[in-house]
Amino acid sequence: MSGNPIIEIRELTKFYRRNDEPAIKSVSLDIFPSEIFGLLGPNGAGKTTTISILCGLFAPTRGTVTIDGLDIRHNLDEIKSIIGVVPQDLALYPTLTALENLTFFGNMYGMRGSELKDRIHKCLEEFGLEKVARKQINSYSGGMKRRVNLIAGLLHKPKILFLDEPTVGIDVQSRIFILDYLNAINETGTTIIYTSHYMEEAENLCTRVAIMDRGNIIALGKPKELVKERSEFTNLENIFLHLTGKSLRD
Amino acid sequence: MFKFLSGFRKEARILLRDKAGLTILFVMPMVLIIIMSLLQEFGYSAVSRETTLKVLFLDKDQDTLGIQIGKGLRKSNFFEVIDSLNGKPLTEKGIREAVKKGDYLIGIVIPEKVTRSIRANVRLQVAKTLAGFGLYNPMLISTIPMGDADTVTVYFDPTVKKTFKNSILSAIKEYNYKVETEMVFRTFNQEMAKVFPNFTPPKQEYKDMVVFKEIFPSYKEKEEIPDSAQHNVPAWSVFAMFFIIIPFTSSMMIEREEGSLLRLQCMPVSFMKLLMSKVCVYLIVCFVQTTLMMLTGMYLLPLFHAVPLALGHQILALVVVTIVIALAALGFGLMVGTIATTHQQAASFGAVSIIIMAALGGLFVPMYLMTDTMKFVAGLSPLNWALTGYYDIFLRGSGLVEVFPSIFKLLLFFIISIAISFFYRTLKNPLNK
Repeated sequence: MSGNPIIEIRELTKFYRRNDEPAIKSVSLDIFPSEIFGLLGPNGAGKTTTISILCGLFAPTRGTVTIDGLDIRHNLDEIKSIIGVVPQDLALYPTLTALENLTFFGNMYGMRGSELKDRIHKCLEEFGLEKVARKQINSYSGGMKRRVNLIAGLLHKPKILFLDEPTVGIDVQSRIFILDYLNAINETGTTIIYTSHYMEEAENLCTRVAIMDRGNIIALGKPKELVKERSEFTNLENIFLHLTGKSLRD
Repeated sequence: MFKFLSGFRKEARILLRDKAGLTILFVMPMVLIIIMSLLQEFGYSAVSRETTLKVLFLDKDQDTLGIQIGKGLRKSNFFEVIDSLNGKPLTEKGIREAVKKGDYLIGIVIPEKVTRSIRANVRLQVAKTLAGFGLYNPMLISTIPMGDADTVTVYFDPTVKKTFKNSILSAIKEYNYKVETEMVFRTFNQEMAKVFPNFTPPKQEYKDMVVFKEIFPSYKEKEEIPDSAQHNVPAWSVFAMFFIIIPFTSSMMIEREEGSLLRLQCMPVSFMKLLMSKVCVYLIVCFVQTTLMMLTGMYLLPLFHAVPLALGHQILALVVVTIVIALAALGFGLMVGTIATTHQQAASFGAVSIIIMAALGGLFVPMYLMTDTMKFVAGLSPLNWALTGYYDIFLRGSGLVEVFPSIFKLLLFFIISIAISFFYRTLKNPLNK
């Protein structure tokens, strides 16, 4: 990887209250501009905690995080303006229409007037939702909701987009559409940090992945290189299972 | 500012689209006002009401005391005196059984010859007094033994409250004292006439020396007697306003549980600004709700033959107090919604805490009936400050200056609640602003 990292994580540690074990143990990581970076791991590995800290939802217990040269402890508002977040849950207001939801979230990013209006219409059109824009979200199918959920995170054209399992529970068509769209915005320079349990999806989409387990990064690299380095495994899923084991996680 | 306005629009839209929720928010408090006012109006108040409370009355005396008590009960407009059951004259056993079964709340038995006994005792007392002046009547003193006190028996249903019981007993005692006093004067005059043949007793032997006038002092020049609507409507308006914390915290918890809060926390917007937009929407709801409750008191209550609410002349004070009560309620809701971790926790804690604060605040039991300790505790309830503010306006005709203590306390409560919510959030995540 060349150039300065857009995200620098150094010795990041996070303890939750009443937990003796840290959720993240002294993790250091660089993510570079225009990467699609996959954060993979079984349940409880620490990936959601890592992303939550990067988005400013939790304060780190120890360590530093710099995003686009801004320190997360001191420049959170500036950081929030350049990141987009697509949570795993459908973070939308069900009784509002797609248009109303997106207008509200756009306003929260400081967008307004024709700039916002045009952007919403463009996104709705691209995502095939322009005809249902004035319908309440609770009348949408799961795939449609996922698409609106995604639009809400990238309305303001963020430099960095965080996606937490964006393709969970949707049909193949919607999934392919979302992945294609992510590739397309990545080509325009958006850095994408993505978590998923779908190894095949991550292998195809991500430029680099980190496999986390029990708060540590246990593998880091390009998916193809990771597979190549371990010739006994044919794909990322096999490596993942080899590294994290087959025992069930809580 | 436009982020705040956008939050306000979003919140208002969500609320307006919840038709069932709106019905509950606006119609239920109106129903509450009507029911509670009618219960109070026709259940306890003696004002402008037909005789409703049936009292079994057995007068075995058939003389002055029995007649006076019976007459007094009938004249009070509060009791319907019943002296026979199923066409048969009452008996003491019958009264006891009827009250025991709960068919009647009160039964009064005036014992046989009680007036005769009082009269004899009075004559003896008078004779003893006259003997002190050398007007000794040996026959009177030697032939009349000093009798024991007679017993008027009053049967009460166990559900009758102590205060009500005391007022009944006080009324009976009052009739008794009056009868005794009249007898003292009469006997005294009779004995004096025997000793001094030229003595002519006055035509009116006894008359009340003191009469009682009820005055409700207020800041208004014109004296007005507060009616039950002026007691009930403000009290239940305060209760309903504080109960708004249930839908308010519910809206906060839904936002948290459905994930939109998480998204908002990742956006460059002050969380408190968003919460304030929510507070503003619910402030309007509170205001509309209270206005509807006042209008219910003014125009709907009279349709049920209840006294209509008179708003009075302190409209500005009324508006300001309503706004600060709503702010206090919403501040409390904000605090509960911030600290609670689940929807159920917020809803149950919110509801129970409001009922406790209402009980402590004098909404269910008037403060003057509380012990000193409880009065002190009641003074700590925001619902008490709210109620005091309204009562000052409705019952005492107070203006803004006079209700300032209530306004100040409620505003302070709002500010403290907001501060606690803010610090709690910062404590949970030092990155929060």
